Amino acid sequence: MSVFWVLMVDSLRLLRARALFWITLAISGLAALMYVSIGFTPTGMSLGFGAAEIKSEVLRAGAPAVELFYLGMFNKLIVGIWLSWVAIGLALISCAPVFPDFMAEGSIGIPLSKPVPRLVLFLYKYLGALLFVVAQVGLFCVLVFFAVRWRVGTWNPSVFWAVPLVTLVFSYLYSVVVLVAVRTRSVLAAILAGVLVWFVSWVGQKGEEVLYQLAYVGAPHGMAAGAGDADLQRWHRSSVALMAFLPKTGETVNLLDRCVVVGGKAGLSNGRLVAQVFGDRANGGEEVDRAMSRHSPWYVIGTSLGFEAVMLGLAAWRFCRRDF
Amino acid sequence: MNAAISVEYLRKVYRGGFEALAGISLEVPRGSVFGLLGPNGAGKSTLVKSLLTILRPTACRGELLGEPIGHRATLGKVGYLPEHAAFPGYLTGAQVVEFSAGLAKVPRAAAKRRTAECLERVGMAAWAGKRVATYSKGMKQRVGLAQALVNDPELVFLDEPTDGVDPEGRYAIRRLIESMRAEGKTVFVNSHLLAEVEQMADEVAILAKGRIVARGKVAELTRQGHRYEIRTQGPVPLSLREAFAAKGWETAGDRVAVEAPNAAAVQPAIDALRAADVVIRGVTESRRSLEELFLDAVGANGNLNGKGGAA
Repeated sequence: MSVFWVLMVDSLRLLRARALFWITLAISGLAALMYVSIGFTPTGMSLGFGAAEIKSEVLRAGAPAVELFYLGMFNKLIVGIWLSWVAIGLALISCAPVFPDFMAEGSIGIPLSKPVPRLVLFLYKYLGALLFVVAQVGLFCVLVFFAVRWRVGTWNPSVFWAVPLVTLVFSYLYSVVVLVAVRTRSVLAAILAGVLVWFVSWVGQKGEEVLYQLAYVGAPHGMAAGAGDADLQRWHRSSVALMAFLPKTGETVNLLDRCVVVGGKAGLSNGRLVAQVFGDRANGGEEVDRAMSRHSPWYVIGTSLGFEAVMLGLAAWRFCRRDF
Repeated sequence: MNAAISVEYLRKVYRGGFEALAGISLEVPRGSVFGLLGPNGAGKSTLVKSLLTILRPTACRGELLGEPIGHRATLGKVGYLPEHAAFPGYLTGAQVVEFSAGLAKVPRAAAKRRTAECLERVGMAAWAGKRVATYSKGMKQRVGLAQALVNDPELVFLDEPTDGVDPEGRYAIRRLIESMRAEGKTVFVNSHLLAEVEQMADEVAILAKGRIVARGKVAELTRQGHRYEIRTQGPVPLSLREAFAAKGWETAGDRVAVEAPNAAAVQPAIDALRAADVVIRGVTESRRSLEELFLDAVGANGNLNGKGGAA
């Protein structure tokens, strides 16, 4: 029996035993059901499996905007809010005790007395916790995959990109949780540290995004600053440099826009989505798309994984060196 | 190589400067039951954890099953039941044992078979499918023993194996340890329950304040205090007391105690008493118990009731 398999099976058993896992799964199922309940009729859009109908020329069966709208809802609402905020938050709370429990007196002695290097134990235990998110998002995406086929009429496997992307976001934050948990063995301290890094990273990304808009795109809502402002560009470069050391949680999830296939082409245009749904009010859609894709996926994931590697490296070093 | 454990030098100083093990040396023969005794905080668990790499010794030279201490692959031939063993409540007894087998790299089919055998052996077969959270303390300890045996180890460390177990359970654990010895396994038992260790250990070592203060075969150690006690009808005459005291014999009231390895050495005392017309009511032979030995050894090191430090 391989050690990897043994620890993964143990992690699955641990997840199964956690009430929060089932609660999150149930809410995810509910969200997926609500998503599936949205359909399109010849005259508009139906909700609650036809319980209510909104008449629309744009969003009706066979209309070109339907696929974009349906996938846009998946990207922006389901993944963008539910999976990347609420589900990840619940996963952090649920998985935070994994290492403190593992390292508890009377518990850690048996694994450490086996012919398995400590580093291997640490890494497999870490990977095992990621199963929480993989299972949640994976099951959700399966439902969405069939929903898209039913409602839009296309098989769209690109929705499964949400699984690695959301898992990546969770892994960035979970590395912080693990580091603090290994250092302090305190579940509360670990959760607080994870949430703090999440918040700082979110503020940093938003700040950098706003600075980008002001410096390169133009001031929204009639603000004074304009494109090409040297000071703003310098500020923006500083914010990028600062953010290089932090995980890009939001930007990683936003990469889903570039991965999802709409109309046979990879890439979900935020500008086009807003324009098709809201018509003329959606001026500047291209700028939004340009701002959203200002960083390459390599930069977004690479620097975030760099952060995760540092956190995990410190945690692993501590785990391997300490006395139990 | 006849020693299952051969520690040439082992020292552990915790952060903050507390010396838990003060450079001990120790040898445990293969196929024997070895008892490590000591008061709480003497360093018993620190010693076992150091041998199993659970904590990092400050200095360590020695071998475990013929390989240097810390050699990871060797740990595959070792079983371990920690003190206050805690298993996740969501696992069943069988899953706990299978988990241990998996980490010890026992092949899957063998792990399944061994799990069933070991649970049967510790009397937990009927509870194998029940969650650990529903077990009593004694049942958890039995499952702990099963997981320690699942890889068919050559050397088994049991840290306070009867802690919290009822008398019936203790008896069963003693029988289990004896059966392990019969199979040729080496069993290293950490305990502060002297009577139990005395019953099952071939050799013991007494640890106090991080130092081994006595060691040897139980019979040899207890023989050191071998004595004969003569009871007389009425008090021992004063005329004899001085002469007895000069020979190192203790006299008190109607008793004369003679420390001697055999009965021949006590005959002169009997002769002297009879010559003085003293009626002898009886002569009894007594050995020091392990408890007396322990109290002497530990008390001499100023560790009795003293919390020497980390266990």
